[in-house]
Amino acid sequence: MKASMSSGLLLILLLATVPAAAKELRATIVYDDAVTDITSAREEADQLWITTADLKRATRFEVKPQGVCRDELCFPLPKAKRDAFIHKDAGASRLSQSWFNMTAFAQLVHQPVAHDAALATWYFGLRSDQRQQLSSLQAPDFTLPDLQGKAHRLSDFRGKKILLVTWASW
Amino acid sequence: MKDKNFEIISVAQDTGGAKDAGPWIDPLQYVAAKPDLPKETIETAKKIGPLTYTALIDEKHLVSKLYNMVNVPTGVWINEQGRIVRPNEVAFVDDRFKKFSGLDSEPYLNALKDWVEKGERSAYVMSEDHLQKIVTAQSPSIALAAAEFGLGEQLYKSGHQTEAIAHFKEAQRLNPKSWNYKRQAYALTSEKDYGTTFRDEVQKIGGSKVYYPPPELPGEKKQD
Repeated sequence: MKASMSSGLLLILLLATVPAAAKELRATIVYDDAVTDITSAREEADQLWITTADLKRATRFEVKPQGVCRDELCFPLPKAKRDAFIHKDAGASRLSQSWFNMTAFAQLVHQPVAHDAALATWYFGLRSDQRQQLSSLQAPDFTLPDLQGKAHRLSDFRGKKILLVTWASW
Repeated sequence: MKDKNFEIISVAQDTGGAKDAGPWIDPLQYVAAKPDLPKETIETAKKIGPLTYTALIDEKHLVSKLYNMVNVPTGVWINEQGRIVRPNEVAFVDDRFKKFSGLDSEPYLNALKDWVEKGERSAYVMSEDHLQKIVTAQSPSIALAAAEFGLGEQLYKSGHQTEAIAHFKEAQRLNPKSWNYKRQAYALTSEKDYGTTFRDEVQKIGGSKVYYPPPELPGEKKQD
């Protein structure tokens, strides 16, 4: 996405016309492999919008003045295109919601999205910051359960040499 | 090797979770719960004995995703500081699949022992420069393949087998090198859904003896 005057104008035109085509739907979001049911989502021109409350519920990310943040991680939103990410319902009613564009955010953070239209399910994959970790040669951390359900975190083994080995029953 | 500050963490890449991976992880516990199993199975389980390493279950194939792995078994060596010193490679720690793969586990186990013994001085530890060249982050299409596979798993688990197949196929198309995407998908439904068989897929690449590229170990150095 190039930031230029013309694309900015185009965006404004799109936003002005899109609400009419917005589709309200029930959606399932998988983010960091956690599944969240979203009772009211909107789909507009192949973009998935959810409320900022649902954003926090599904991803733990929150919209803050400095960007979209979770813990120490923060992705600033391009100022000129803020409207492409956040949209407030018209009117000052207490019920008016703040909507967040999940599709645009995924593009911003170079996150692949797989979508099943019939089942209204969106799977958000590894963001580029998560994928880049491997090239730093620092072993990507994870927490997984053993057979008894007890969680083990790779980084808890720091101080030991580790053979990490995958296998499968299939 | 445990006393030498060394740990094996084995991670099952199984969408079916403990149900599928469990019997393999702790055969003793498995046969104890099923007294009707054939005698040989119970004997084998007793021979294997209790668990001596950390065995984890990875229903979402998270480790394969994070480490960009395409097959099992894949091993990574991680040092005391949490740095990768040998990246993804075929990691056989026994000879159960030797007939199929033609690979002997001994050279790999010797290399592993050498590293546990000598640490960074081991000839099998790769230099940072070399590692930087061979360890690369996932490309966008490989990352999208992982997302399609993850979506397939989610649909499968929520009872939509037929819909899942389309996404498993897309994952296989985007990352044709991933045997995990093929074999896990075949196991969840059937090879028929994909119009192929594992055997045919192995034939396509030249047979089972090239299915596992052998680990690149500096052979002559292991004798010291």
